[in-house]
Amino acid sequence: MGLLQGATELFPVSSLGHAVLIPSLLHWSFKQSDPSFVPFLVLLHLGTASALLFIYRSEWVVIVKAFFTAAVRGRIETPPERLAMLLMVGTIPAAILGVYLESRIKSLFASPYVAAGFLVVNGFLMIGFEVLRRRAERRAALDTKPRAAQEEGFVEAERISFRAAALVGACQALAFLPGISRSGVTIGGGLLAGLRHQEAARFSFLLATPVILSAGVIEVPQLFSARVPVAEYIGAALLSAGAAYASARFLLRYFRSGRLDPYGWYCVAAGLVSLGLLALNL
Amino acid sequence: MKSNQLAIGFVIVAVVCIVIAALYAVGILQFLASGSGVHIKHAILFGVLAVASLIAANFTRVKTA
Repeated sequence: MGLLQGATELFPVSSLGHAVLIPSLLHWSFKQSDPSFVPFLVLLHLGTASALLFIYRSEWVVIVKAFFTAAVRGRIETPPERLAMLLMVGTIPAAILGVYLESRIKSLFASPYVAAGFLVVNGFLMIGFEVLRRRAERRAALDTKPRAAQEEGFVEAERISFRAAALVGACQALAFLPGISRSGVTIGGGLLAGLRHQEAARFSFLLATPVILSAGVIEVPQLFSARVPVAEYIGAALLSAGAAYASARFLLRYFRSGRLDPYGWYCVAAGLVSLGLLALNL
Repeated sequence: MKSNQLAIGFVIVAVVCIVIAALYAVGILQFLASGSGVHIKHAILFGVLAVASLIAANFTRVKTA
């Protein structure tokens, strides 16, 4: 579960969808109603957030400094200051929707059939984002150029509008539906806002860090309230961190020229196969 | 958009958020919260919104040179 969570949290394939589907398909005796389940998830999320913090450690130092500088001055003067404020604007809608809707939506849709269905929807969303991106490339007469030159025609994360940042942030709420990928919808939202693929992934990962980290830290007291096999869970969290680190490194390299649609097709196929297996009760 | 009136509006929003955060923190406010008692997550959220409103107020106020 640690490896699965760490790898699928950052790939645009829905960690929640996989966390609901795979134990069901493999008949793992994993009870989500168990009192130690939430602490387990908390530790896995802290593992993922730690990996993201580690990857962007120097950038976060700059962003935090820039945030306080711009907040006190009341004016944005540098790209890191703009990025810090974009991240704040993107995080607020996600935080509001997370606090008020997350548990309600998750409990409504925590079924493997629903997760498989939404995985298919997630796949079509990823493919749709790329269809719109290719249309934008045609409009900018970039479609005949090599991939690197096509990406050069789009912008860095610091240059998107505040409205776009808020919309991308709000898109994170879609990921409360098991099967819809948080990183997928935020990378897709970034593409629609005109970001390069790699920049969309970077913005998505930076946006995810405060949300995942704060959600994890707030739940930490639950680690001490349930009877938890601490060593086993910490091991899973370390596996989650390792998998998240490797995933993020891979994705940042992949998105230099890669696109979202292979993940889209994977989600469509995985969702349909899962629906078939669940229907046949295999 | 620079306007002192808008800045005052943001300060009022910040004060309202602080009050709501305090009410969630002491367990008086239960609006859209699961179960009864104190709601730390909701209180932190409104604390963060208050800070964000104050930052917005600082950005929108007319600055004298």
